[in-house]
Amino acid sequence: MANRSVFPRLRARLFDPWLKRRIRPALPLTLAYRRIFILPTRFGFMLALLMAAMFIGSLNFNNNMGLATTFIVAAVAINSMLLAFRNINGLELRHGTALPVYAGDAIEWQLTINNPGMIRREGLTLSAASVGPPGNIPANASARLAVTLSPRPRGWHKPGRLRLETTHPLGLFRAWAWFEPDTAFLVWPAPANHAPPLPQGDGHQPMQQRNSPDDGDEFHSLRRWREGDPLHRIAWKASQRHQTLLSRDFRREQSQDISIHLSRVPAASLENRISIATAWILRARSQNMTWTLHIGARQYGPGFDDRHKHVCLRALAEL
Amino acid sequence: MSSAIPRLATAPTAWTIAALLVAAFPHLVAMPPPVAVVILAACAWRLAAAVRSWALPPGWLRLVVSLAAIGLLLVTLGGLWGRRAATALLCLMLGMKMLELKRIRDLRLVASVALFLVAAQFLFNERLIYLVYLIASVLTVFAALQRIQQYEMGQQPVSGNTRRLLAKSAALLAAAAPVAVILFLTFPRLAEPLWGLPDAAMDDRTGLSDSMTPGSIAELQIDSSPAFRASFDQQPPPDQRYWRGPVFWDFDGNTWSRAPQPSRAPAPPVPPGDNDYSYTIQLEPHERRWMFALDYPVDTPDKARISADFQITRRHPITTLTQYSMRSNPDFVDMPELPAYWRRLALRLPEDRNPRTRKMADRLRSQFDDDRELIEHVLEWLHNEPFYYSLESAPLGRHGVDEFLFDLRVGYCEYYASAFAVLMRQAGIPARVATGYLGGHWQSGANYFLVRHSEAHAWVEVWLEGRGWTRVDPTAAVSSERIQQGLATAGGGSTGSSWLRTLQNRYDRLQRLWNSWVLNFNAERQQSMFQFAGLPNIPPAGLTILMVSMLGGAAALLFWLWMHQSRSRDPVQRAWQALVHRSRRLDLGPLAGETPAAWAKRLSADQRMGPEFITLVSDYCGIRYGSASDAAQQSRFIKASRSFPAGKQ
Repeated sequence: MANRSVFPRLRARLFDPWLKRRIRPALPLTLAYRRIFILPTRFGFMLALLMAAMFIGSLNFNNNMGLATTFIVAAVAINSMLLAFRNINGLELRHGTALPVYAGDAIEWQLTINNPGMIRREGLTLSAASVGPPGNIPANASARLAVTLSPRPRGWHKPGRLRLETTHPLGLFRAWAWFEPDTAFLVWPAPANHAPPLPQGDGHQPMQQRNSPDDGDEFHSLRRWREGDPLHRIAWKASQRHQTLLSRDFRREQSQDISIHLSRVPAASLENRISIATAWILRARSQNMTWTLHIGARQYGPGFDDRHKHVCLRALAEL
Repeated sequence: MSSAIPRLATAPTAWTIAALLVAAFPHLVAMPPPVAVVILAACAWRLAAAVRSWALPPGWLRLVVSLAAIGLLLVTLGGLWGRRAATALLCLMLGMKMLELKRIRDLRLVASVALFLVAAQFLFNERLIYLVYLIASVLTVFAALQRIQQYEMGQQPVSGNTRRLLAKSAALLAAAAPVAVILFLTFPRLAEPLWGLPDAAMDDRTGLSDSMTPGSIAELQIDSSPAFRASFDQQPPPDQRYWRGPVFWDFDGNTWSRAPQPSRAPAPPVPPGDNDYSYTIQLEPHERRWMFALDYPVDTPDKARISADFQITRRHPITTLTQYSMRSNPDFVDMPELPAYWRRLALRLPEDRNPRTRKMADRLRSQFDDDRELIEHVLEWLHNEPFYYSLESAPLGRHGVDEFLFDLRVGYCEYYASAFAVLMRQAGIPARVATGYLGGHWQSGANYFLVRHSEAHAWVEVWLEGRGWTRVDPTAAVSSERIQQGLATAGGGSTGSSWLRTLQNRYDRLQRLWNSWVLNFNAERQQSMFQFAGLPNIPPAGLTILMVSMLGGAAALLFWLWMHQSRSRDPVQRAWQALVHRSRRLDLGPLAGETPAAWAKRLSADQRMGPEFITLVSDYCGIRYGSASDAAQQSRFIKASRSFPAGKQ
């Protein structure tokens, strides 16, 4: 890729500002002459080398048909450069976004592109560090292209400089345009892998160690006996009636509120506390609990739904 | 095959192989059949592997197969020297590439090297018919490259993809044509080659050889391809249509060959005469140095020299179509005095060969004092005795001339010329054998002779007191039609029916035009083209600038056309785009990402657009995005759109 420079510092100080001035790359933008760059691909360079050999050989022996062949191939190559240009010229890059992900996960960033012209645009790709899957845009239509961004830490991020590129129609030239979207996307904190159990009540201490999730004080229901159920749990009378072993199931009250105080999460560093809190929020959500998140003096909740989960994760991400 | 690389799909692989086979076709025909079979088998195998999802062979097996194939090429060609061998090797390597065709880049490599094969083919043959080959192979290669691109971009081909790909590459080619023509006409040509090919690399020789062995197979006489064309203002008489090529002095009993001395010595100057012929020759490449002319050449062609026995040889072998103008003086007397050294050379014969011929020569010598009478007598004898003309050849033994003159008596020109020359030398008359072409087919509409290889001929020149070297054609004494109608008819049989011949002759006129306008375009022609266009003599640097600026102009034109082609074909859309364009010029255009409705709303307060603008835009949206719109509605919109923006007046 052309943006890989051997001199990173020089690039940062000279090239990047120059490019930014030149292309004014914020979305939305319409691709036109000054924004579009074209260079031969590796295959293009290889064909050029081959053509040079054909050319010198034919010229030396004044072989007019050989020269004609070379010139035809050269002319087609030149035209394919114009076609590559035309394939992205005039495209309107509308807006881009990425759905929030957890830190450490790959980010799929999507761009909406409008094709106002009457020609179909073929073989377009978005690229950042990696190259996204190719896509086409029919005439007078919009389409979305995606690219996978490398994992980022929690917080708001801009995708950085991206390229929309094409090697249509022959793979000889790559035409591309830089753009740098202003809209940021959110990366949630990564949930801790081995988080301690959920805090109980006000969150001063972790809940008691429980053997199984169905542990509790209140009788809930009868269920089929499972290996490992203690003897005192077996409902002998009911078992006799049903001709099979049944256990008494106890469950804690569903409506129980828990509070997650970031400051009281049992971990040394802030990042660890954040990731444990994230894991707790996810666990609470999956167990349909109601939870309240306290970050310093601020309080989020109580709540129990996805909306509340997103609010909490965003709050944690923005810390 | 590594698991990291997905298998190539069938369609792009098939396209690539098709492109390779079309481009390699003439090479495959010219190479030894076993090698061609190996290449075809490799391609067929790869295609089957793509269809059946077979695994590709491991590296060691590929190496073994490739080495075996190269071994086969070495054995069948007897070496790897020369252009034929080089192109056969290239084809073979591409065939072997089939065994490791794994990645998209391999496909592209094969497709682009196929283009190289096309250019390489023209080193061997530039005939008009190969224009078809050029177009066919370039079309398939570009279709294949597009198919590969589709494949790389993960596009699912729609039905009729083959036709679409070919149509698209035809469009690419058509769009490339103007640029290619400009390059062809204006690219500076080399007046002198940067390097020459060594003679050993000339592995595709045709035409006359530099020795003559009667009894060898008459290959040339059955080759009906053109040797050269000669345009005349006025036809020379039939007995003057002897096109001189190599001249032989040395005879070892079996083979006639050139002598060093006469070929090295320069020709005496030939003054222009009253009965001169002026003509232009288009010589087909034959990869030897001979150039042909009627007796006796007044001018020397460019980059050539004329030897004392009037052989014209070029400095480099003739590898491309070569055109030259000649003037010949038929009345010139070649060597009125024969120096002693030359006489010895022209009388030398191997000892103790052909005793019966010697006896006949001695008898004749005692019978005739005068050389001319002796020659007349021998010609009459050839005519009266049962001598026959035939392209059938019989190998001759140690006393070959004896065998031919007294036993065999059937043969073609080389037998007669050799026997006659030996008989003359035995009788003490200096003689040499000249080879070349006789006659040619007169293309009356276009005023030129088409001389084919089948018209190759050998005759004898004897030195006579007072007349110098004099042409004697002993074959004519046997079959006089030969002189009148050319060898093809006299030989009979091998040349096909007359309508076919007529068709060939018609086609040859086209070929000649092609030759003179396209193939013969060189540095000199380029200069005269510029002079014709009123440009002065342009040095190469100026030529380059001219070329670059013309190309720039052509590119700009193409670009403009393309940009405008992207305009809509839908009249409503076109009117809309025009409206947007007009608005932009007044800084009223839609912002990036603004929908038509939002644009109209934003500008509804603007004086220059006016309140009707919203109605217009909602009409547009109705036509474009609504369920149905009739033609009247559309034309109403188109008409109404023209008055916006109002501020334009």
